[in-house]
Amino acid sequence: MNRWGSIAAMGLVGVIALTGCGRAEGGSTATSGAAIDAKPATGEVTVWAMGNEGEVLDQLATKFEDENPDVTINVTAVPWDSAHDRIATSIAGGETPDISMLGTTWVGEFAATGALEPTPEGLVDEASFFEGSWSTAVVDDVAYGVPWYVDSRVLYYRTDLAEAAGVEAPTTWDEYKAFALALKGGGATSGVSLPPGGFDSWQYVAPLAWQAGGDILNEDGTEFTFDTPEWAEAFEFYKSFFDEGASEAVRLEGGEIEQKFIEGSVGSFFSGPFHVGLLREQGGPDFADKFAVAQVPGADTRTSFTGGGNLTVFGDSENRDASWKFVRWLSQPETQLEWYDISTDLPSVQAAFEDPIFTDDPYLSVFAAQLADSKAPPAIPTWAQVSAVIDQELEKVTRGDQTVDAALKTIQQQADTIGTGN
Amino acid sequence: MMRRKPRWWLYIVLVTGFVAMIFPFIWMLLGSFKTNAEIRSAPLNFFPENPTLENYVQLFGRLDFTTYFTNSVVVAVFVTLGNIVFSSMLGYALAKLEFAGKKVLFGLVLGTLMVPGVVTFVPLFVLTSNLGLVNSYPGLILPFLITPLGVFLMRQFILSLPDDIIEAARIDGASEWRIFLRVIMPLCGPAVATLAILTFLGSWNNFLWPLVVATSEDKYTLPVALALYSVGQNASQYGLMMAGAVVVVVPVLAIFIALQRYFVQGIALTGIK
Repeated sequence: MNRWGSIAAMGLVGVIALTGCGRAEGGSTATSGAAIDAKPATGEVTVWAMGNEGEVLDQLATKFEDENPDVTINVTAVPWDSAHDRIATSIAGGETPDISMLGTTWVGEFAATGALEPTPEGLVDEASFFEGSWSTAVVDDVAYGVPWYVDSRVLYYRTDLAEAAGVEAPTTWDEYKAFALALKGGGATSGVSLPPGGFDSWQYVAPLAWQAGGDILNEDGTEFTFDTPEWAEAFEFYKSFFDEGASEAVRLEGGEIEQKFIEGSVGSFFSGPFHVGLLREQGGPDFADKFAVAQVPGADTRTSFTGGGNLTVFGDSENRDASWKFVRWLSQPETQLEWYDISTDLPSVQAAFEDPIFTDDPYLSVFAAQLADSKAPPAIPTWAQVSAVIDQELEKVTRGDQTVDAALKTIQQQADTIGTGN
Repeated sequence: MMRRKPRWWLYIVLVTGFVAMIFPFIWMLLGSFKTNAEIRSAPLNFFPENPTLENYVQLFGRLDFTTYFTNSVVVAVFVTLGNIVFSSMLGYALAKLEFAGKKVLFGLVLGTLMVPGVVTFVPLFVLTSNLGLVNSYPGLILPFLITPLGVFLMRQFILSLPDDIIEAARIDGASEWRIFLRVIMPLCGPAVATLAILTFLGSWNNFLWPLVVATSEDKYTLPVALALYSVGQNASQYGLMMAGAVVVVVPVLAIFIALQRYFVQGIALTGIK
């Protein structure tokens, strides 16, 4: 009896633990609430923002408080690494803030829980944002929040190596390949550094598919389209860099890539705007004129990958009026310029890029041009799972363990099984 | 008796183990005096080329260090005290008292020990939130006041104490309380020291719970604050991280050194670490 008593008790604990995760399914039939008026905002608003944004948003919030004397904005900085877990848990526990910044790829997942409020009708003008960036906020034709800042990948290259090899920043795929081989001929071990596989390597191959005219989902956003000639072309082209030796099949993590680029063993790589500052800081003053950025090369288009941060308001917010007013204020071109000044985050509003800060800067102007032709992955809750399959199959292809056709077939099959989550 | 040969191989194993364990620690210490660029430089520099205190200046200047440190101390101290009091009480009852359902209760304790923390994490958070304890010290402390591991550890230790002393005290007319406080607890030194170190360390290093429960920065504990300032979306400030890690490790080291003697004894006696 005694032993059985203990076992029964342990079993009971297990059952309790298993039943502990019951949360009502969030409805995806959300409709946007009442429109937001132009009156000053009042009350208290809690904002969660990650990392550097969380640290400096206070400075901007003070200005909003000056313009709206009856409002208090409480900014809480959340560590980037763990922000996703924290937001997910707070949704489960019903302890969400009024506003949270979200990584662009998280919107689909969190919108599916029903915790986010759709953007009120007429709050902002959709057309004022970069198209690729706005699409990160849209799930099933409903917009949740607005893009706050953007990030796009461009080509960083060593100007001295390019000059010595007699090549210029490439605009087409053919030029791109020749460019990478020329830099390699000029002494770099990798003409262009590309990850042969692993986490997030889909971010390198998806733009190639976009450039070839393909996409991840079909027009209605219901079916994956990986077994198409465009994706095959993208995979073949990506693979050829390793086969022809233009790229060493080594995955460089953040931190390594700057060093290799500065010492000259990496001739070029793709990255976002933050690398300009990092390279200046780590390369020292002598290095500043040895590198430049250029729009990514392309085929039909020169599409790049876009990411960044969005602002979302939670449905549980007790002060939705002031929350949306703050979000609206943050997405005005003037505020976005000030925000660039404070945070160096690139504005998500196109009009902000007409400012001389951007048009006159040799780096920033490239990002501005690239942003006009940038795309984000679809905002579907299953994207993390689907992209993991791409990462895995891409690695098999670049290693020569799998043919492109077979890999794409596998990706298509697995993606269909995982589904779009709708 | 045959004289043993000097066991030189034992020393090789010990030295290898020692170096493997101490190296990351020294790397952290040296790293805290390097600039971010130097930490990432290739080839690596073992010793800082231009030692800098910049990381520490940032740590104490830019961060609201006192607040985070105080929060960490308050939480860790209360959690440790709670465990010493409650785990030994329950441990004593399970080891020496006879009552109905004792086996079932002990089974339950063991059962909860088997359920991984991640499973109970969200329900626990929902409970904390329903009690209105989110973003408060009680919310950070209460869930950890008693741990199954602590109960198990205390029970096993108390089980090894002879029943005779308890019976002698009972014959002398001591109440159960008195027996527990005056007879049992004074004998539990090594176990309590082990428990104190384990729970203090666990609470001091706890990251996920304070991350979720402390919703505003004035309730952040050190690990959460360090993650906040040193790990960025695209670039991490390793120097600052190392300096922070050094400062976080110091109190733990101090406690460990203070309780080391009992700790080793505790492991030897209970066979639990």
